[in-house]
Amino acid sequence: MASKFWTQGGSDTEEEETDIEDEIENGGAGEATAAAAGSRYLQANASDSDDSDGQKRVVRSAKDKRFEEMASTVDQMKNAMKINDWVSLQESFDKINKQLEKVMRVTESDRVPNLYIKCLVMLEDFLAEALANKEAKKKMSSSNHKALNAMKQKLKKNNKQYEELINKSRENPESEEEKFEEEEEEEDEDESGSELEDPSQIPESSDEDDEGEELDDDAGDGAWEKKLSKKEKLMDREFKKDPSEITWDTVNKKFKEVMAARGRKGTGKFEQVEQLTFLTKVAKTPAQKLEILFSVISAQFDVNPGLSGHMPINVWKKCVQNMLVILDILVQYPNIVVDDMVEPDENETQKGADHDGTIRVWGNLVAFLERIDNEFFKSLQCIDPHTREYVERLRDEPLFLVVAQNVQEYLERIGDLKSAAKVALRRVELVYYKPQEVYDAMRKLAELSGDGEKDGDETKVEEARGPSSFVVTPEVVSRKPTFPDNSRALMDILVTLIYKSGDERTKARAMLCDIYHHALFDEFSIARDLLLMSHLQDNIQHMDVSTQILFNRAMAQVGLCAFRVGLIAEGHGCLSELYSGGRVKELLAQGVSQNRYHEKTPEQERLERRRQMPYHMHINLELLEAVHLISAMLLEVPNMAANSLDVKRKVISKTFRRLLELSERQTFTGPPENVRDHVMAATRALCKGDFQKAFDVINSLDVWKLLRNRESVLEMLKAKIKEEALRTYLFTYCSSYDTVSLDQLTKMFDLSDAQVHSMVSKMLVNEELHASWDQPTRCIVFHDVEYSRLQALAFQLTEKLSILAESNERAVEARIGGGGLDLPLRRRDNQEYAPGTGGGGRWPDLSYNQGRQGGSGRTAYSSGGRPMALGQASRDRSSGQSRGTGGYSGRSGSGMRGSQMDASARMVSLNRGVRG
Amino acid sequence: MATYDLTPRIAPNLDRHLVFPLLEFLQERQLYPDEQILKAKIELLNNTNMVDYAMDIHKSLYHTDDVPQDMVDRRVEVVARLKALEDAAAPLVTFLQNPSAVQELRADKQYNLQMLKDRYQIGPDQIEALYQYAKFQFECGNYSGAADYLYQYRALCTNSERSLSALWGKLAAEILMQNWDIALEELNCLKEIIDSKSFSSPLNQVQSRIWLMHWSLFIFFNHDNGRTQIIDLFNQDKYLNAIQTSAPHLLRYLATAFIVNKRRRPQFKEFIKVIQQDQCSYKDPITEFLACVYVNYEFDGAQKKMKECEEVILNDPFLGKRVEEGNFSTVPLKDEFLENARLFIFETYCRIHQRIDMKVLFEKLNLNYEEGERWIVNLIRNSKLDAKIDTEMGTVIMEPNQPNVYEQLIDHAKALQGRTYKLVGQLLEHAQAQPAR
Repeated sequence: MASKFWTQGGSDTEEEETDIEDEIENGGAGEATAAAAGSRYLQANASDSDDSDGQKRVVRSAKDKRFEEMASTVDQMKNAMKINDWVSLQESFDKINKQLEKVMRVTESDRVPNLYIKCLVMLEDFLAEALANKEAKKKMSSSNHKALNAMKQKLKKNNKQYEELINKSRENPESEEEKFEEEEEEEDEDESGSELEDPSQIPESSDEDDEGEELDDDAGDGAWEKKLSKKEKLMDREFKKDPSEITWDTVNKKFKEVMAARGRKGTGKFEQVEQLTFLTKVAKTPAQKLEILFSVISAQFDVNPGLSGHMPINVWKKCVQNMLVILDILVQYPNIVVDDMVEPDENETQKGADHDGTIRVWGNLVAFLERIDNEFFKSLQCIDPHTREYVERLRDEPLFLVVAQNVQEYLERIGDLKSAAKVALRRVELVYYKPQEVYDAMRKLAELSGDGEKDGDETKVEEARGPSSFVVTPEVVSRKPTFPDNSRALMDILVTLIYKSGDERTKARAMLCDIYHHALFDEFSIARDLLLMSHLQDNIQHMDVSTQILFNRAMAQVGLCAFRVGLIAEGHGCLSELYSGGRVKELLAQGVSQNRYHEKTPEQERLERRRQMPYHMHINLELLEAVHLISAMLLEVPNMAANSLDVKRKVISKTFRRLLELSERQTFTGPPENVRDHVMAATRALCKGDFQKAFDVINSLDVWKLLRNRESVLEMLKAKIKEEALRTYLFTYCSSYDTVSLDQLTKMFDLSDAQVHSMVSKMLVNEELHASWDQPTRCIVFHDVEYSRLQALAFQLTEKLSILAESNERAVEARIGGGGLDLPLRRRDNQEYAPGTGGGGRWPDLSYNQGRQGGSGRTAYSSGGRPMALGQASRDRSSGQSRGTGGYSGRSGSGMRGSQMDASARMVSLNRGVRG
Repeated sequence: MATYDLTPRIAPNLDRHLVFPLLEFLQERQLYPDEQILKAKIELLNNTNMVDYAMDIHKSLYHTDDVPQDMVDRRVEVVARLKALEDAAAPLVTFLQNPSAVQELRADKQYNLQMLKDRYQIGPDQIEALYQYAKFQFECGNYSGAADYLYQYRALCTNSERSLSALWGKLAAEILMQNWDIALEELNCLKEIIDSKSFSSPLNQVQSRIWLMHWSLFIFFNHDNGRTQIIDLFNQDKYLNAIQTSAPHLLRYLATAFIVNKRRRPQFKEFIKVIQQDQCSYKDPITEFLACVYVNYEFDGAQKKMKECEEVILNDPFLGKRVEEGNFSTVPLKDEFLENARLFIFETYCRIHQRIDMKVLFEKLNLNYEEGERWIVNLIRNSKLDAKIDTEMGTVIMEPNQPNVYEQLIDHAKALQGRTYKLVGQLLEHAQAQPAR
C-alpha cells in the first residue's frame, strides 16, 4: 500500500500541477495575461487536495491582486460618494459584487473579506444619510435619483446576507481591519517560515494569534489550523500538568484528529510535524509510539514542496533520526511487527510493552528508506555542485548508510530477505561508483562524524524525550556505519545477498553496479563475463530508463577499463555505441545535449532533468571522449591504410571517419585545443607513421591526470601507437618496396626484434599483407599479386553473382515468411542484427525507448564486424558461475559461433579476390 | 614441478574413489612428500567403507602396528551394516542370480515389477535395498559387484532421480574396473540424460556437465578412440561454456587433444580463440604453447613452452599414462604430442617464410641437423610440404603458395549452384504447399 503511494509520486496530476506552476513563475506575475492564466489554473487547483507551498505563493499573489482591485473599487465608490454620484456608485457596486465572487473563489473560503464588509457598512451609512437628506434628494437629476432608488433596493437585498458580519463590523470597525491585516501578516510569516526551513518559528507565529480565538467562531474552516494549534497548546498544558491522567485513548484520539487534518487545505505541514512529534513523547505504548513515528515521517515527507524540489535538509536529517528511533523500538520489542499488507486492528497499539503476542503496526520501512534515499539523491541533483553546500550535503551520506544498514540488518533478522535485498541495492548504489580512495575517505568521515555526532545525538535525544516521554527508547541500534576495509568486500556481501533473494529489477541493477565496480577496479575480464552471462545486453531495452542509464554508465566504465588494461578493440566496442548518436551527455544523464533538429517539449526536458546524475557520480566526459577517439584512431588508421584504394571497405568507426573528414577539409589547421583536435593531430602524424609525434600530441592532453595508473597507461598507449604506426607504415608503403629488412623496421619504430617479428607474422598469417619472411637475410619479401584484367573482372562477376543469389534468397525468405529452413544461419543472424544497428544509426526521436533501440545492436558488442570481438560477444555462457547468478538462465547461442566464423572466413577470401 | 599439478582442482569434481588413482600416480611421480599423500589417502578413505585398506595405510604411515580405536569401531560398524543390507537385499539377489528366472524379465518395467511382486514377493522395499546394497558394495571397494547390482537396479527402478545416481555409480564402478568400453557407453548414456533433462536450475546442469567432463577424462585418455571423442564432447558449445565458466583447467586436456589430433582443423581455429580469451583465467604451458604459435607468433617462446609441456605431460595423471613394453616404460602421448607440436610450429613457420635457414629451424624444433633434414625430407616426400632443400646454402625454400586464380574463381562460383538449387527447391515446395491449402 504505502510503497504504491510513494511510487506514485510521479503520477500525472501532480506533474501537471508543477507544470503550471513553472509556467506561472516564468511568466511574471505582474502581467495581466499571466494573472489570467494563473486564475485559470488556480481554479483547477481549487479542486485539488494537494496543496504545496509553491502554490500558496501563487495564490497569494492572485489574491493580492483581487484585493487591490477591490480596494480601488472601494476608492472609486468613496469618490462617488463625495460628489454624490449615485450612477457611478451603482456601477461600482455591481463591480465590487462581481469582484467579491472572484475573491471568494481565489481565497477558497466562504468568509467574506473585511474590506467588502466595510464597504457595505459605508454604503449603508451613506445611503441612510442620502435618504434622510430629502432636500438633496430632490435636487438630484432623474437618472441619479433612479440610481439611488435602485441602489437602495439592491443594498437591502445584498446586505441581508452579511447582516451578522456587518453588525460585528459596526461594533468594532478597527479590530476588524487590524485582524485582517494581521492575518495576512501571519500568513506571510508562515510562508517565510517554510521558506527558511525553520520550523521553530511556527510555534511563535501561532502563539501570537490571540485574536484567533474570535476568528474561530465566525471564520469557520479558514482558521482550522489555528484552532488546532490552540487546542494543542491547551492539551500540551494539560498533559504537562498531569501526566498520569493521559491515557492511551486520549493520545489516540488526538492522533486521529491530527491525522485527519493531513492533506487538507491550510494545514500547516510543519505544525503537523510538531504536533505529531509532541505526541510521540506522550505515547503510552511502544506500539503507539511507533505508529505515531510512522506518521511523523510521512508528515515530514509532506513538507517537500513539490516533485521538482527536494526536502529541506534539516527535515531530512530529522527524518533519518526518526527512522533510527523506529528501529530502536523494533529491535527493543521484537514482538512488534511492521506490515503494510493488512489493516491492523483499531486498538492494536493499545497493547503494552508486556503484551505477549505479536503486535501489528501499519508501515513500510523499505518504502520510507527508499524515499529518504530519493530525497537525498534529489537534493544532490538540485544543489549547485560547485558550492560548499554540496560538499556538506555529501557528508550526510554516512548518515543514510547507517539507517540503511540497520534496516537491512533488521529485515534480515525477521527474514524478509526480499525487502532486505531492496535495501541492499540502495546501499550498493551509493558505493558502486566510488574508487577506493573515495571509499576510504567516506569510511574515515563516517568514523569521525560518528564520534562527533554522538554528543549531538545525545543532546538531541534528550531534548526530544523531554520530561514527559512515557516510552523511553534507548539507542539499541548502532549510530555508526561499519565498513569493510575495501569497497569490493562490501560490494560482494551486498551483491551476493541481492542475487540470492532480490527480484528481477533489483538483481539487474545490482549486476550493473557490480559490473561498474569491477570495471572501476580494472578487472575487465570479470566485468565482461558478468555482462555476458547476465544477458543484460539483450534485454536492457525493455527496462526502465534509469536502469538503462545505469547500463550506459556501466558500459562506459567497462570501455574505460578495457582501454586502461590495453584492450583497445574491446574498449572501442563498448564506447562506439555510446558515441554513435552524439548524445553522450543524455545517454549518461550527465547534462542535456542540444539537438538542432528536434525541440524538446518542456515535459521531456523536465523528465530528463529529473534523472540527471548528481555531479559527484559523473564519468568524466573528456576522458571518455579521449579514450573513445584514441581507440578509434588506433583501429581505424591502419584499417584505412590497408584499404585505401577501396572506398566501400569496412569502416570501423563512423564517428571517427566523419571527424577526420571534417578536419581534413579545413584549409588551415591550428594548434589543437580540445580533445578532438588533439586526436586529429595525432591521427595525421600516425598516418605518416610518425609515432613519436602522435604520442606527444596525445600525451599533452590533460585528461590523463584523472587516471590512477597514469604512467602505465601512457606506456601502454605508446606501445600501441608504435605498433599501429608500424602496421600503417607497412600497409601504406608495401607497394613501394620489394624487400624491407627487419632491422630497419625495428630502428624506425623503436620496437624490439621479437615484437616486430610477431606483428608482421600476424599480418602475414591473416593475409593482410602479401609477403613472406626471408629468414637468412631477415627481410620481408613482398609478393606482387597481379591479376590480369580478365581475372579481376571475373572476380567481380562472381562477387556480384553471390550478391544476387543472396538477395534472391532474401526475397524468397521474405515471401515465404522466414521459413528458410535451409538458408545458411549466417544470413538470418544478419537480418536479426539489421534493425538493431539501423536503429542505432537513426535515433532521431528523443524518447528513450526509441533511442535505445540501438542498444540491440550492442548484442554483439562491437557490431562493426570485427570477427574477433563478435566471436567473443556471441560466446554464450550459461549462468553457472559460483556467484550464483541464478536468475539469469543460460541460453545457448548454438551455431552462433560457427556461423560467425563462416562469415569471417568468407570475408578473407573475398578480400583476396577483390585485391586484384 | 608441482606448480602445474591439477589434482587439487580436479579432485573436488570427482568421486572419492576416483581420486585414488590420481593419488597413486602422484605417489609414483614423487611430486609431493610421501607422508602428505598417505595422509591424504587416509583422509579420503575416512568416509568410505574401505576400512581395512585405511588401516594398512595408517600402519605404513606411522610405522606402527597399532590402529586407532575409531577405525576398529568403524570396521565393526561397517561389517554389521553390510550384513544387514545383504539380508535386506537377499531375496532379490537370489532371484537375480538365477539365470532362468532372470529370463522372465521383459522390457516392460511395470510388468516386471508386477511379476516380481506376484511371483517372488519382491516389492519396492527390496528393490530399494538392492540400491543401498550396491552403494555399500561400492563404498567397500567391491566395484564389480556394485556395477552388476546397479545395472540390475536400473532395470527395475522407476524413480528417475535414483536411476540417475545409479548411473553415476555404475560409471564410477566401470571406470575403477577399467572397463573402458562399457564406461564409454555409460558416459554417453549419462550425457544424453544430462543434456535432455530439464534441470531444476541451470546451475545444477552446469555442475553435472562439469562432473561428467572430469569423470570422462579417465575414459578418454585410456580408450583407443578417446582423443577424438574428448574433442567431440568438450568442444560442444554447452560444454565449452561450462569449462570457461567453472573449470578452465580442463582446457589443458582439450588443448592436448587438439594438438594430438590433426584432423580437427576447423574446430581448432575456434578453439584458439577460446584460449586467447581465457588466458587471463587459466594458463599452463600447453595452452601457452598454442597461444605462442597461433596468437602471438613467437616461435622462440613456443619452443621454450614445448620443453615445459613435456614435463607437464609426464606429471599429469591422465596425460602421462605409461605403457610398459618389455623393460621400457614410455609415455606414448608425450611423443605424439611433441611430434605434433613440432609440426605445428613448423607449419606456421613455413606459412610466413620464403626461405628458412635449416640450422635455426632445427634449433627451434629441438632437433639435430641430421634428424631434422630427414624429417623435412620425409615431409616433402609425403607431400605435406611444398618446398625444396638447398643444401649448398643450408636452407629450405618454400614454393610460393599463391592459390590458383582459377581455383579461387571456381570456389566462389561453386557454392552458387548449390544455393540456387536450394532456392528453387524451396520455391517449389512452397508452390506445392500453396494449392494444397
